[in-house]
Amino acid sequence: MNGSPRAGLLALPYGLWLLAAFAAPLGAVALLSVQESSEMFAPLSFVPSGAQYAELLGDRFYLRVFFSTIALGLVVAAVSAVLAYPLALWLTRLSPRWKPIGFAIVLVPLLTNVVVRSLGIILLLAPRGVVSGIGQWFGAPPINLLFGWFAVGVALVQVFLPYMVLALYDVLEGQERRLEEAAAGLGAGPAARFWRITLPLSLPGLRAGLIVTFLLASTAYVSATLIGGRKVWVSGMIVLKEGMEILNYPLAAALAMLMLFASVAGTILIGRGIAMFTPWIADRVPRRRLSLPPAMRRAMILIAEALAPIVSHVLLFFAIGILVFPLVLVAVASVNDSPQATVAQFLGFTWKWYGMVLQNERYLSDAWVSLQLALACVAVSLAISLPAAFALVRAGFKGRESLGAALMLPLALPGIAIGLGMLRLLQWFTALPPFLGILAVHVVLVAPFMLALLRASVAGLDRALEEAASGLGAPPARMFRRIILPQLGPGIAVACVIGFLISFGEVTVTAFLTTARLQTLPVRIYAEATFSLENTVNAISTIFILMTVALLVLVNRVMPLDRVWKR
Amino acid sequence: MRFALTRRSVLAASLAAPALWGRDAVAQIRRGDELTVGVWGGAQERLVREFCAIPLEREHGVKINFVLGGTPERRARAYAERGRPSFDLIYLNIFESRQAVRDGVTLAASSNVPNFENLYPVARLGGYGVAFNPVTIVYDRRKVAAPMTSWRDFWRDDLRGKVIWPTYPGAQGTAALLMAAKLWGGSETNIDPAFTNIARLRPFAAIQGSQDQLFGMFDQDIGAASVEFGSFTRTYAESRNPNIVIADPTEGQAIATNVACITTGTTKQALAEAFVNLHIGPDCQRAYAERIYYSPTIRNVTFPPELAAKLVLGEAAVAKLVDFNWDIVIQNQPRWSSRFTREIAG
Repeated sequence: MNGSPRAGLLALPYGLWLLAAFAAPLGAVALLSVQESSEMFAPLSFVPSGAQYAELLGDRFYLRVFFSTIALGLVVAAVSAVLAYPLALWLTRLSPRWKPIGFAIVLVPLLTNVVVRSLGIILLLAPRGVVSGIGQWFGAPPINLLFGWFAVGVALVQVFLPYMVLALYDVLEGQERRLEEAAAGLGAGPAARFWRITLPLSLPGLRAGLIVTFLLASTAYVSATLIGGRKVWVSGMIVLKEGMEILNYPLAAALAMLMLFASVAGTILIGRGIAMFTPWIADRVPRRRLSLPPAMRRAMILIAEALAPIVSHVLLFFAIGILVFPLVLVAVASVNDSPQATVAQFLGFTWKWYGMVLQNERYLSDAWVSLQLALACVAVSLAISLPAAFALVRAGFKGRESLGAALMLPLALPGIAIGLGMLRLLQWFTALPPFLGILAVHVVLVAPFMLALLRASVAGLDRALEEAASGLGAPPARMFRRIILPQLGPGIAVACVIGFLISFGEVTVTAFLTTARLQTLPVRIYAEATFSLENTVNAISTIFILMTVALLVLVNRVMPLDRVWKR
Repeated sequence: MRFALTRRSVLAASLAAPALWGRDAVAQIRRGDELTVGVWGGAQERLVREFCAIPLEREHGVKINFVLGGTPERRARAYAERGRPSFDLIYLNIFESRQAVRDGVTLAASSNVPNFENLYPVARLGGYGVAFNPVTIVYDRRKVAAPMTSWRDFWRDDLRGKVIWPTYPGAQGTAALLMAAKLWGGSETNIDPAFTNIARLRPFAAIQGSQDQLFGMFDQDIGAASVEFGSFTRTYAESRNPNIVIADPTEGQAIATNVACITTGTTKQALAEAFVNLHIGPDCQRAYAERIYYSPTIRNVTFPPELAAKLVLGEAAVAKLVDFNWDIVIQNQPRWSSRFTREIAG
């Protein structure tokens, strides 16, 4: 499978799955977007009309929202990258015993309810909040950082930072340590080593992280709704408002399609950009760098080396702080004797929320459904995305970058739009066995994440080992088992954990698809939250976090989170 | 008497048989029937399970399935499945329910349900109103110069920059917009005065999108007053923040109801009606009031004075709730929503 176009066939199972489970809702959205009439019960017309697009593109409000959403996505991706490097490096240096705990810290935001997380942001940024408090301590007047782009950005960085960290973790962990040692031996300080060795070699992971965080941040709408105070409008909110509240499906669909195009363009651009800085992967001649005069360069290096330890520690402190803060909040709230979950003061200690969760068979049976669904989803997603990752890294054919972007499409379409598309297909969907139907959709939502992460891991494989094995006569199957799989272990483990958490927590699309026969836990929590959020949700989050630690300890035993032979 | 077995009578009988059968399925409850109910989670689910589902399951040997979710998903699905519903009964809010009846998605209320007779007239529109949950002014008593007794008080000088306005659409935002229109000489058909005068209130302390968000804002001293459901705010005030007052403005509180809507085309109409009948029975209505301060939609239920003071009770109080022409409100929703986004929130 070295550079032959035939290796591209490995992406076939993944492609077929998308075709079976994603092409239909995407087609429905595309068809809706070219309807002329916004009338709810107007018969579907197959004569395309650009009316909806014209309305969007002719309206300065929509255009402003659209472009500011993309800008927000880019900024969030960039800030996440800056915060993620110190964290990911810290994770790689943790001893094997502490590694599961380190991972759990990184995953906290993915395990807590979005409303509770938003409360955390409010407590941080409100006039009486933590940041303002610190400012006042230094004599500054109280400031309100809430309800604006800044607060929304902080919230998005918090929840998408884990994806970036995990995307970087595996490539950093797999890096050849001897290179750094050699550089140190030649006199390079930490800053120079990071800039010249660690950063360039981790670019494939950075690409995965940037793409995933950009796609997630530019389609997200819940945080903006909760923390933006309606002063912040993002595209996803408009899709939700037009589609769900006003029932103007065609306009919502058209905006979703525009978001899709922007996301695909963004994905391709990020891929191209990273490729430009990693010429050695494609055996290209590196471009000439701009270089400073030697005196200035020496000064710059001196300053960088002096600042590097401080900056990296400050960034690490911020990153861990932003991740762990909701954990504290959730754990405290889960024993708070207050009828509403969004309470900012402690009213008394109680175990009753845990009792309500653990004694209620409905929570438990819904959790069981979610667990089965998530496990099946991870298994299927791994089975289709691992070969696809090989296809994207190793096959030699034109348009590989476009194929890569196409396989990420489900991430580029906002979840709410997938839900709207599924509505049109409900009668066919309900004819499927419920578990299978929801599984098919969950795989579509999860597989792109796993593909993005695995692609970086596959790119980091040491080809020399495979060549040696094959030279010694190992058949491909054995080579895969003995050489490739052990190297991919941590990457696969990380991808599986992320995939599991996404499927286990998915609610945007699943809320359209649950039936009396199949209900998942997040949909139940969401349904309760739409009425009034009780602290049971925090008890569940705390239980999840503990279970995740247990799960990570277990995963670490079965499939070590680092490369054992390198220790 | 002899039956003449003519060709015509056989034909008539064979034509009538399926109709009778079909009618049977709709009009009778049979053992083993399953009813699918779309409802909110939390306390609401617990209440309908206790007072509607369990008694029916015991009495008739049927099975009641709940599909939990928010109103938007439920409504979107009911519209997508119009005429061949997977839900037999869905719960909606006031304006969605009336629109759904007009759109042929759900059925109008009828006296098939025995307790229908006890409903206040305004709770008979758009299905069966199961709870009044009016929207009113709520404020922090420490932050206003004098108690708020009128919707006009939002425009007082001491509230400048301290108003937390509710987003539109949504029950709270709709009520606030329409009350503002009434106040400043407009109406559903003349909304301009509302927008002009709400815009005068800018800058807002914040714009709120849900009760949870508003309570968080009150906790954090972000603003002084807003428009919210009285019921939830009362729970919040009693458990967490005694400074919050639920006002009873002179112009009245704005009506909001939860409505049980039987879907058009359901094959379990009788069972759905039996379910609704229990929901608007005195026991269930009393439990709603005791546990979450929802006011009853039926006349034949009484409460101890202490609880009664916190509810909307009796013909006079119900008549004082401000209702609107929801047809016009719904027709204009897209336009108003777009204006709100641009002129008020944006």
